[in-house]
Amino acid sequence: MSRLFRQLRLRFRSLFRRGRVEQELNEELQYHLDRQIEEGLANGLTPKEARYAALRSLGAVAQNKEECRDLRRVSWIEDMVQDLRYSARTLRKSPGFSIVAILMLALGIGASTVIFSVVDAVLLRPLPYPNPQQIVRVWEQTPKGNRISLADQNFDDFRTQNTTFADLAVYNYRLQSVSGGSEPVRVKVAAVSKGFFKALGIEPLNGRNFAPDEQRLHGAPVAIVSYHYWQQYLGGSSDLSKFHLTMNGSVYSVIGVMPETFDFPHSVAIWIPGELYPKLHSRTAHNWQCLGRIREGMTLAQARANLSTIARRIKDQYGNDVHLNDAAVVSLSDAMVGEMRTALLTLLGAVGLLLVVACANVAGLLLARASARRKELAVRVALGAGRGRLVRHFLAESFVLSFAGSLLGILIAVWGIKILPLVLPENLPRQENIVINISVLLFALAVTIAVAFSLGLFAAWRAGEGDLQEALIAGSRSHTGSSASQRMRSFLVIGEIATTIVILIGAGLLGRSFLRLISTNPGFNPQNLITVEFSPPVSMGQTEQSTIVRQAGLMKEILTRLRAIPGVETVGLTSGIPAAAGDNLPEGDFLILNGQKPPANSNEWAGIAQNSSQVGHALYAVAGEEYMRTLGIALIRGRMFSEQDDWNSPHVAMISETLARQRWPNQDPVGQIIFFGNMDGDLKPLTIVGIAGDVRARGLNRPPGAVIYVHYRQRGMKANSSPTIVMRSAAPMGEIVSSARGIFHDLAPDVPVKVSTFANEMGGWLADRRFLLLLVGLFAATALVLAAAGIYGIVAFSATRRIQEFGIRLAIGATEGDVLRLVLRQAAILIAAGVGLGLLGSAMLSRFIASLLYGVSSLDLLTFATVSLLLSAVALVASYIPARRATKIDPLSALRYE
Amino acid sequence: MSKPTDLVQGTLDLLILKIVDREPMHGWAIAQRIHRMSDEVLQVGQSALYPALHKLEQQGWIEAEWKVSENNRRAKYYSLTRDGKKALAKEAVQWERLSAAISLIVRSA
Repeated sequence: MSRLFRQLRLRFRSLFRRGRVEQELNEELQYHLDRQIEEGLANGLTPKEARYAALRSLGAVAQNKEECRDLRRVSWIEDMVQDLRYSARTLRKSPGFSIVAILMLALGIGASTVIFSVVDAVLLRPLPYPNPQQIVRVWEQTPKGNRISLADQNFDDFRTQNTTFADLAVYNYRLQSVSGGSEPVRVKVAAVSKGFFKALGIEPLNGRNFAPDEQRLHGAPVAIVSYHYWQQYLGGSSDLSKFHLTMNGSVYSVIGVMPETFDFPHSVAIWIPGELYPKLHSRTAHNWQCLGRIREGMTLAQARANLSTIARRIKDQYGNDVHLNDAAVVSLSDAMVGEMRTALLTLLGAVGLLLVVACANVAGLLLARASARRKELAVRVALGAGRGRLVRHFLAESFVLSFAGSLLGILIAVWGIKILPLVLPENLPRQENIVINISVLLFALAVTIAVAFSLGLFAAWRAGEGDLQEALIAGSRSHTGSSASQRMRSFLVIGEIATTIVILIGAGLLGRSFLRLISTNPGFNPQNLITVEFSPPVSMGQTEQSTIVRQAGLMKEILTRLRAIPGVETVGLTSGIPAAAGDNLPEGDFLILNGQKPPANSNEWAGIAQNSSQVGHALYAVAGEEYMRTLGIALIRGRMFSEQDDWNSPHVAMISETLARQRWPNQDPVGQIIFFGNMDGDLKPLTIVGIAGDVRARGLNRPPGAVIYVHYRQRGMKANSSPTIVMRSAAPMGEIVSSARGIFHDLAPDVPVKVSTFANEMGGWLADRRFLLLLVGLFAATALVLAAAGIYGIVAFSATRRIQEFGIRLAIGATEGDVLRLVLRQAAILIAAGVGLGLLGSAMLSRFIASLLYGVSSLDLLTFATVSLLLSAVALVASYIPARRATKIDPLSALRYE
Repeated sequence: MSKPTDLVQGTLDLLILKIVDREPMHGWAIAQRIHRMSDEVLQVGQSALYPALHKLEQQGWIEAEWKVSENNRRAKYYSLTRDGKKALAKEAVQWERLSAAISLIVRSA
């Protein structure tokens, strides 16, 4: 019999035939004892003496046995099973404690699990492309370090000169009207250049990729559709040849369907070849986003260095005609998450702190329980339980608690994930991947084990502290509890308050930012505005008079009929509503002509642009004559657009106040002639006729920018706009909306419209900022409640422990007030310490969320002060209630109290 | 009876192995044998003996069998296994070297 086998047999025997082994051990020791007694008798002792002597020589039989058992290595398994059973039994015996502890742990673990599932899906899980670490986003980088989109010519240089990319492609996307499916819809359409799908490493599910012949100017228009679009609007039919989609007046044949999981750029429904657009010669028309796949074996750093060299070469060659002097290369996963990373990590931090508060509460409960169980523990030690065994016992108990809490917590998480979509902002990438999967469960398990260990060791350490035998002797006549356990309780209260302060301050800072944001004056009146977003019924890139006049005619008809709807006060037209969708406005450089002839081509443009006093930078907005009036944008100087401005009259522009201040600080801009044809392809110069009040076009959190407004009847709505009609009306919305829909249906049946209110659109924009506030606020509120409950519990417990002392004090003449003050003073010291520690922690941590704040310093005094006061008040009330009760006791019964 | 001398750490194992090498023996007899063979210098208490026996059994150096003892009662008899014999040989050599080394130092000093 091999040694290993024998050992295994012995261990199995110890484990599964425990009774037998135990009996044998007893028998063996008994035999020894009997022989000892016999020997004593043989030496002439009386039976009683012999027995006594033998027993004395044996020493502590129980300990001896335990040692023998320990040597049979499996004893820890037996102990564990026994401990777990024992724990479950004792926990059942105190259901109040167990339920509260389990609920608190469930809350903490459940909330952490939900947030981790978001972090896992959005930040941690690799992107669903082959070798995703090789895929990067690329930007032009300005000397100031800003990342900007690529201009055609710069991209061409990047693509043809690099040695580090397997594929480099550009893309952009916008909402467009698409008809030809089962119904016309406005969906995101992406124009993508050669190599786009190859860079991502994804092939169409059905059909084929774009052919080289289709990826050129004037190639046959073809489109690849998303799985979702295919299912919903093309009936999921496998014969694609019968489908032709109309977009911007061109007809695209459907040639492929992407796989269901493919979602790049986010929520795009249709991809078309980017080469269909004419290439611009400008090196400052930053129209394209760029992505690439780094060659196998090359690193991101190498790719970046490579593109940097090319960028510097471009800068050397073109000087002031380009904005870039470097290139930025960022892995796609980092780029996709962007600002959301900070937000999600903040959430994870907040929920982690919440878990700490929950654990502190449970630790408080355990403390109370441990001191109630001191005698039981003392007895167990006296009966031979080693210190290790005691630790194991506490671990078992906290494992039972933690795992029960964890199971419930996972149930909470499953439910929490279902309601997450209500809270998460729409533009959070990859949120459809949020699930409870193995890695989320492993996270929950790891958290549970960590919690179980820390609680178990905490309890064991506490219980082992001080001399247990003393506890046994002292009996129940303990007065104030040991100073050690008092210290522990103080430590818990301070920690709990400090942690809660940190979450509350985080929530407070986010809340103040949000208030600042929504109370920011957008520069117009956002109330009672109905918005109707639609697509321009015009082909891309067309600037002919006929097209624009036809479009203007149609718009005029629509606007006139809309104005006739009863209850509608004013109706205006814009190429993008400010603040809520302001990022849709394109921007670029314009020229101040100063009497010069407008440039006829890009060389002449660059010639004038060399004089930097003749170049400005602004957002490009198209507006109708009543737009400013409808929104309530102030007219500072000059005039607004009017009926008289049309295709044949000199083209006019209005500029924003900021731009007037920036470019014409000491002169009157009205009457100046500028050139902005690089934005819309129309070479006619623009005469500034008026200055409009500033609006926060790009969002409430951005300063009002430089804007140039042009007239839709002169320049037309181009493909690069999100044409929107704004209607101001105090009348009920429903009727107006249905009338408006009817009018569009009559006059432009192929144009899908999206009717909404400005407040609604703004809500979407604010949702990004709100979700974080909502969740952190929720965690903060929960932490506050937990902390209050925890402090209440601990103070109440301390007060109970001191009831005899209070009785004595009252008996020798202290007033109720004295006792109350005594308890409160002690609580106040702890609260002050906790608040101080929390403020210190917040001051160190809050700078991590500085990028999420708006108009509020991360050390905002008001927030810090308010939160400190709030928490101090809550904590004092939580201490006052039990303190008050302590003073109501009858001294005599208190003295007898055990 | 003189005061029992403390055993050097680990030597109890060697003594047990040596004693059960001769014939299978139960715990009480082992203790007695150690006592007698050491001219009553060494006395092994139950509290040291049984854990040591269980540990050796666990290690696979000795094995146990219940047999009827000289006074007609059931007793647990320990005997040396093949592994145990090897271990004993090694431990004995080790001990010889160690004790020789110690005596060398003690005598010369």
